[in-house]
Amino acid sequence: MKKLIAGAILLGASSMAFAQPGCGVGAMIWKGQSGVAPHVLAATTNGTFGNQTFGMTSGTLGCQTNESVQSMAMYMDSNIDKVARDMSRGNGENLETLAVLLGVEEADRGAFRDVLQDNFAAIFPSSETTSGEAVDAIVALLEKNESLSKYVAA
Amino acid sequence: MARFPRFITFDRKSHLPMSNTLRIGPAVLWLIISLPLQAQVQTADKPLHLDPAWLTLIHYQPSRLGGGYTSQADDPAFFLSESGKTSPKAELEATLDAIQRPGNGNEHARCRFPARDAWLRERLDLPAKTADCPGYQEWTETLNTESVTLVFAASYLNSPSSMFGHTFLRLDPPQEDEQTNLLLANTISYAADAAAHDSELLFAYRGIFGGYPGITTVQPYYEKIRLYSDIEHRDLWEYTLNLDQQEVDFMLAHAWEIRDRNFDYYFFDENCAYRLLALIDIARPGTNLLDEVSTHAIPSDTVRWVIDKDLVSKVHYRPSAATSVAHNLSTLSSSHQTLAAAIANGYVKPDSDEVLALSPQERAHVLDATYDYVRYQSEADSWPREMAAPLSHNLLRERSKIDGVAPREEPPEPEVRDDQGHDTFRISLGAGQLAHREFTQLTFRPAYHDILDPPAGYRSGAQLQFLRVDARYYTDNDELQLEQLTGVEIRSLSPRNAFFSPLSWQVGFGGRRTDTGDKRVLAPYLEGGAGGSWSLGQQTQAFAIATADLEIDDDLRRGYDAAPGADIGLLHQNNRFSLTAGAKTKAWIVSSQHRQDQVYAKGNWHIGREFSLFAEFTREDHYDRYQSTWQAGLHAYF
Repeated sequence: MKKLIAGAILLGASSMAFAQPGCGVGAMIWKGQSGVAPHVLAATTNGTFGNQTFGMTSGTLGCQTNESVQSMAMYMDSNIDKVARDMSRGNGENLETLAVLLGVEEADRGAFRDVLQDNFAAIFPSSETTSGEAVDAIVALLEKNESLSKYVAA
Repeated sequence: MARFPRFITFDRKSHLPMSNTLRIGPAVLWLIISLPLQAQVQTADKPLHLDPAWLTLIHYQPSRLGGGYTSQADDPAFFLSESGKTSPKAELEATLDAIQRPGNGNEHARCRFPARDAWLRERLDLPAKTADCPGYQEWTETLNTESVTLVFAASYLNSPSSMFGHTFLRLDPPQEDEQTNLLLANTISYAADAAAHDSELLFAYRGIFGGYPGITTVQPYYEKIRLYSDIEHRDLWEYTLNLDQQEVDFMLAHAWEIRDRNFDYYFFDENCAYRLLALIDIARPGTNLLDEVSTHAIPSDTVRWVIDKDLVSKVHYRPSAATSVAHNLSTLSSSHQTLAAAIANGYVKPDSDEVLALSPQERAHVLDATYDYVRYQSEADSWPREMAAPLSHNLLRERSKIDGVAPREEPPEPEVRDDQGHDTFRISLGAGQLAHREFTQLTFRPAYHDILDPPAGYRSGAQLQFLRVDARYYTDNDELQLEQLTGVEIRSLSPRNAFFSPLSWQVGFGGRRTDTGDKRVLAPYLEGGAGGSWSLGQQTQAFAIATADLEIDDDLRRGYDAAPGADIGLLHQNNRFSLTAGAKTKAWIVSSQHRQDQVYAKGNWHIGREFSLFAEFTREDHYDRYQSTWQAGLHAYF
């Protein structure tokens, strides 16, 4: 089942460039989005302009070998703002989604949420943090945690 | 437009009773064996290639000229026969031939057209051993779909042009599994694939007259939420369909067939919503949602049809980021609202003593609301990143220090859903007087909503009217006159407050009666305006709009005239009645310099969501003459 979900994420992100070199890259948090003002006609008529895909940059695929972590990196890359928000609150559907992508079992979800909230400042040390850096920090944190390390084992 | 077409559409496809299926199967099989390919694949009463299910699968519609059928697919790869686009029979024969050829693999017809294959095999009792289709199999396993949800993106505040809404399908994984998640579910949508560099005018032209390919795309739901909920501020309504597993599988099989196939996109009829209706029709034969479509398919109307056909098992509301922000701010006490505004504007730091003095719960709620507001403003109002990003980071860092406080509840679901609002086609009959001349007025408005219509299910202060015709019959001299033809009229009154400062605006064009001093002539006009609106209580707002008018007519001295002006008034909307009153002034400056001043009051009394009684009164000072117009009558919504 885990594989299927990871596959779903990869399928959805198939437009991304997969083989970007380098670790720790990815979307910068609060980078802002272009094309905010919706086109009046496009809105009326439900067409799509080619530029309506938003700054998806490369993930951390080059570095992470664990498939679940790769999926998490993909998700973080396009949802970093919302993940950071939910993480600071220790609650929210984007945090749940991270847990699902990593395959965190129900029993460990509470610990997962707490670890991420308590270490928010370590995961996002500044307003320039990128999704790749955040993923690396999350993996490092979970590896140190006795009950959660199994979810990020390479 | 919702129900009106029913009166004028007749059933274009005659239906074969399902019970015939079993009886005629063997007979048809015999025919195929005895007369391969050239066979008249025919049942006792109706040839198989005219079976409604087959016509739906290949997207055939009766040809506009003459008899016969034409498929809406505009892609040769969708057909197995060269004449498949116009010949259901040739396509059926070619398909039957192709699916019975030996072999396997992704390029085999059985793998390219799994829905046709399944339907024909069941219908004709052909050997049903499964084909080996690695590509298709991987696709369905990845989609892992148990049920299908129709998602409707509602219109957004301050953008009446989005009122038509947008729809797409979400493919929901089995729910009992803790390892699944709806944000990761995939969606299927159909949209015009416009080139990025095309201007809006070219976009409109090609959209209406054809020219853009329509493509079916599969995307994760979280991407859709980002687009509609976070960036366009549209609430999402999720209607879970009651399709069973077999119907879901059949829908996906057909989605696979049309996945990369081009169907030309047309805004008004063959649009996003239309293709989804076709998919539902295929999943559950006999549903015939496409028969509801006459001249246009407004996504919000298509949702009504889906509900009317008993296809929905449950409805879920997902408020947009904008709805959540406004709700969270409004639930703060007024002193906390002031504090949130001060933090957002940089006067107070998120870790200052003033904030730390609050109880953990209050602090969490202030920080949460402030953060969401800063994010909203960054996107909607383009706050610079240098200011917004460090502030956002400080807000979250402070918030992460507060344990055990859950975020506020999500905004409540509106009492009336968008699909439960009044129907959009309106006919009105009224009687009145213009300067003591009596008239009877008949109005047709195909779409959509004006600010005095029953407001339930619509955004308050938003108006969008299309192709409205007002005709008057003057009784004194038996004269029938076209009073006004409204091409498009858009109006958006969005109240400003301490946190949000939207622009209220309006734009419209068409033809209308204008007074040249000695007669009333029908003149093309263009009008627009911008200004502000302020809330006076829950359902009342005051607005002030600077306006501009342009009229063109031979009877005007220079052939046209223009007027800057102003419109100041009040608007009250509730489920029993809607009222607006105010004063307008225009200073005509080109052909003849004079003022046109008006006071007006208009009200509608709502009788359910099917009818409204209306009355309006205008007193005008124009060419140094006072004259009054009044009118009263009934609106009926279909």
